[in-house]
Amino acid sequence: MVRYVTRKALGWLLMIVVATNATYFLASWFLDPRSNFKELRPVRSEEQIDRALAPYNLDPSVPLVHRWWDWFTGVFLRFDWGKSPTGVSVNGEIGYRSLISAELVVIATVLSVVIGVALGVYTASRQYGWADRVTQAVSIAVFNIPTSVAALAVVFVAIWLNQHAGLHFLYVAGENSPNVEGLLPTVGDRLLHLILPTLTLTLMGYVGYHLTQRALLLDTINAEFVRTAQATGLTRTQAIRRHALRAALIPTAASVAFSIPSIFTGAIITETIFGWNGMGRYFIQTISKNDVHGTVATAAFAAALTAIGAILADIATVFLDPRVRVS
Amino acid sequence: MTLATTVPTQPATPTGATPVLSVRDLRISFPSEAGPVQAVRGVSFDLLPGRTLGIVGESGSGKSATAMGIMGLLPPTADLRGQVLLGGRDLVGLGDKALSEVRGNAIGMVFQDPLSALTPIFSVGRLLSDALRVHQDLSKRAAWEQAVELLGLVGIPDPRERAKSFPHEFSGGMRQRVVIAMAIANKPSVLVADEPTTALDVTVQAQILDVLRLAQRETGAGLVLITHDLGVVAGHADDIAVMYAGRFVEQAGVRELFRRPTMPYTARLLAAVPTVDSGVHRPLVPIGGEPPRLVDLPPGCPFASRCAVALDACRTDEPELREVTGHGHVACVRADEIADGSLDPAGGVAPVHRAAERSGTGEVVLRVEDLVKTFPITKGALLKRRVGTLRAVNGVGFELRAGETLGLVGESGSGKTTTLLEVLRLRKPEGGRIEIAGTDVSTVETTARKRELRRDVQIVMQDPLGALDPRLPVFDLLAEPLQAIGRDRESIRSRIAELLALVGLDPSVGDRFPAALSGGQRQRVGIARALATEPKLLALDEPLSALDVSVQAGVINLLARLQRELGLAYLVVAHDLAVVRYVSDRIAVMYLGHIVETGDTETIFADPKHPYTRALLSAIPVPDPERERTRERVVLQGEQPSAARLPAGCAFVDRCPLYRLAADDVRERCRTERPAPAEVAGQPGHQYACHAV
Repeated sequence: MVRYVTRKALGWLLMIVVATNATYFLASWFLDPRSNFKELRPVRSEEQIDRALAPYNLDPSVPLVHRWWDWFTGVFLRFDWGKSPTGVSVNGEIGYRSLISAELVVIATVLSVVIGVALGVYTASRQYGWADRVTQAVSIAVFNIPTSVAALAVVFVAIWLNQHAGLHFLYVAGENSPNVEGLLPTVGDRLLHLILPTLTLTLMGYVGYHLTQRALLLDTINAEFVRTAQATGLTRTQAIRRHALRAALIPTAASVAFSIPSIFTGAIITETIFGWNGMGRYFIQTISKNDVHGTVATAAFAAALTAIGAILADIATVFLDPRVRVS
Repeated sequence: MTLATTVPTQPATPTGATPVLSVRDLRISFPSEAGPVQAVRGVSFDLLPGRTLGIVGESGSGKSATAMGIMGLLPPTADLRGQVLLGGRDLVGLGDKALSEVRGNAIGMVFQDPLSALTPIFSVGRLLSDALRVHQDLSKRAAWEQAVELLGLVGIPDPRERAKSFPHEFSGGMRQRVVIAMAIANKPSVLVADEPTTALDVTVQAQILDVLRLAQRETGAGLVLITHDLGVVAGHADDIAVMYAGRFVEQAGVRELFRRPTMPYTARLLAAVPTVDSGVHRPLVPIGGEPPRLVDLPPGCPFASRCAVALDACRTDEPELREVTGHGHVACVRADEIADGSLDPAGGVAPVHRAAERSGTGEVVLRVEDLVKTFPITKGALLKRRVGTLRAVNGVGFELRAGETLGLVGESGSGKTTTLLEVLRLRKPEGGRIEIAGTDVSTVETTARKRELRRDVQIVMQDPLGALDPRLPVFDLLAEPLQAIGRDRESIRSRIAELLALVGLDPSVGDRFPAALSGGQRQRVGIARALATEPKLLALDEPLSALDVSVQAGVINLLARLQRELGLAYLVVAHDLAVVRYVSDRIAVMYLGHIVETGDTETIFADPKHPYTRALLSAIPVPDPERERTRERVVLQGEQPSAARLPAGCAFVDRCPLYRLAADDVRERCRTERPAPAEVAGQPGHQYACHAV
């Protein structure tokens, strides 16, 4: 198993290197940091702009291959992912923002999967019962609400609650309050800030798992082997849990694993509405500000997450389905 | 339902033992859009320890619902009434929790399809030890040990190693052994087997029935054996109940029932079953009509509309099951007359005779010479490496003339369907030659010519429901092949009317969708569709295996009539040898891609030469308890090996009973030299390939 995972990881590492370098060239061709200076007054001359960009290895007059080599050796030798056109360190930005994002999405993802799968299992075993119909109607309705609308609705409800309860524990903006000191108050403060964005992300995330898990389980729930399991003396619930669910979880496990990169970098709207500076907003900002190094680093980050997701999916599959022998 | 239905008294128990299972007035209904479907309408029986009750019926007769009702495995929407007394305790009305303590402990169940009955992600050892640990307080290790013992008991070789294998690593027969092991794991007092051998080959069926008998002996359990196959119950049941439209219509000891079937339905069912008994070729008498739908049953006997001896009284009151002296219990107003022999339950319906004279002299429609088809076995996910070759068809040759039927028989995996598909492909085969109506298919280059040739060869599929597009009405289904050959609207319309009449369907069927048709009607549509382009050769791939016995006979007779009228040549692939006997003029027996014996049907059935043919023929259960229990049978050991590792000599050598008895020099030849077909003296056309005969 360890050998298998190592081999897989090496393959993915190679893939990340290739993808990241390809992104570097694409980003350099399409993103032009010089245009950031166009709006500035007094108007800068070409030389001035180039001089301003040169310290960050973004000078367009230097051949692309040279810039790439500098960037590549920097990453390879010092793990320095370069600087933005305004001289901000990409490493620092990503280091900080990935933690913010993790804080935001990890709990929401875990909640989405747990709630979604649980609902899927619950409703699949009661297909066409009232519980199934009601939850399915709710899920489909939620599925069709755009994230921005849902997030704003959550904000409005929170403000209304705050006003009527006379409390201020539901924070609608930012990841923390200023002037909070001490370990426990900081943790508590951050958790309070997490409530609303997590609620929004969970609401958006659970629906997919609910509907797919329900459909997947329905495929196996009436399988003959579930009836055989019942015939050996399991109750219907036990038979479903032990025999049908396990097989039906395999595709869900894979889809959770592969959704990790997109939830890390894709929570843009939620981040924007709740004023969190996570990876999603960073991704958009780097592109709009022609930040070549930031864009490439974000892509590399997503690629690394994809690799981790794929390996986790493999491990989960082997764990759930022992027929898949690791060779 | 508070109707005071009288429970018929059961036959006095010969030994006076108390029944392990008593079912009293069991009623099951399912909700449906058309109203409640009354699947089981008052079934009662007693099962004594160590005895076997066979429940026989066609699909939809309620036999599986009865089994599920006893097990408490009905879907929650089903309505279950009556009593199921297991050791004096009524199971009806118990909750899932209470029932789960009974299931697998006091009642074990064997399911129909072993391929889907085992959870694919657990090893069989795990499945078995789980089944043990549900009811017994065992350590994991102890349960595993018992599981290994059980696997050995049901005849799985090398059980300790095989316990670690997953279900997909076993063949169908081996999986059914595992299912039986699971059913008997906790030594139940009742075993319920629902069509335990229907999904298996005949040679494997014989083995599984033996295992079932062994399992019953080991546990002393009473067995409820549910099947549609009268041959299986004839050999294995002590008592038989015949089910029709949700009720027992006849219940008697096995000898009494087969000696004189007293309910007209039973009698007609027995007359409609093709058999392989030695002796005369008995004509088939189909039962007209279809079984009734169990929604809003009209008053009267549900069989009355199909019964040849029905009286007016039959259409007003449904007869109760009542005792007939010296026989058993029969639900028929005329049971006494039939029982004493004064009334023929078939009502003197003239049996449909096959055309006596067979013309084997028509033009040759299909000639296959030395046909070879192989499949590569590959390994690796991204880069496929070829690691072996599966020799599916290996040097097969035969000839088929107009107006003649050739039956290809053999177990699954013998290459019969592959042969059929190669013929239908109309391309140059991998090896050998295929000639259709005088044209060598490898010489056909242009698409236009190929299309023309395609008209001459058509296929009828096994499962008519799967073969017909559910979204097209019958008219469009039949129009499709005609449009493909460019017929105009008017001629299509008239041709469809012709086709429907030809296969004996009402013109109104044209507007209906396949789902609205019965199985027999659907297969008739399938046949009509194949006939649309006026082919010379019809390939029939298991044309009857999806149909019920009473409907089967009608389709067999239809095929015979069409052949007579249209001079068609049939190439039939079937695993049911009894059916093949009825439809074929000649038979080719296939084993592992080889034809091991070929000859006239009657010659082969009367005088089989090849040891495999003999084993195949003797594996078929005969619906006659006397002969079935006394006849000598050749039960083959093991299962057909994979065609990926063909022996150098005779393909059958591993399982051959003659090989074991043969002299050393013959054995040597069997192992090293592939036997060539040899003609039987005095029987023209009868060839077999064996060194040892």
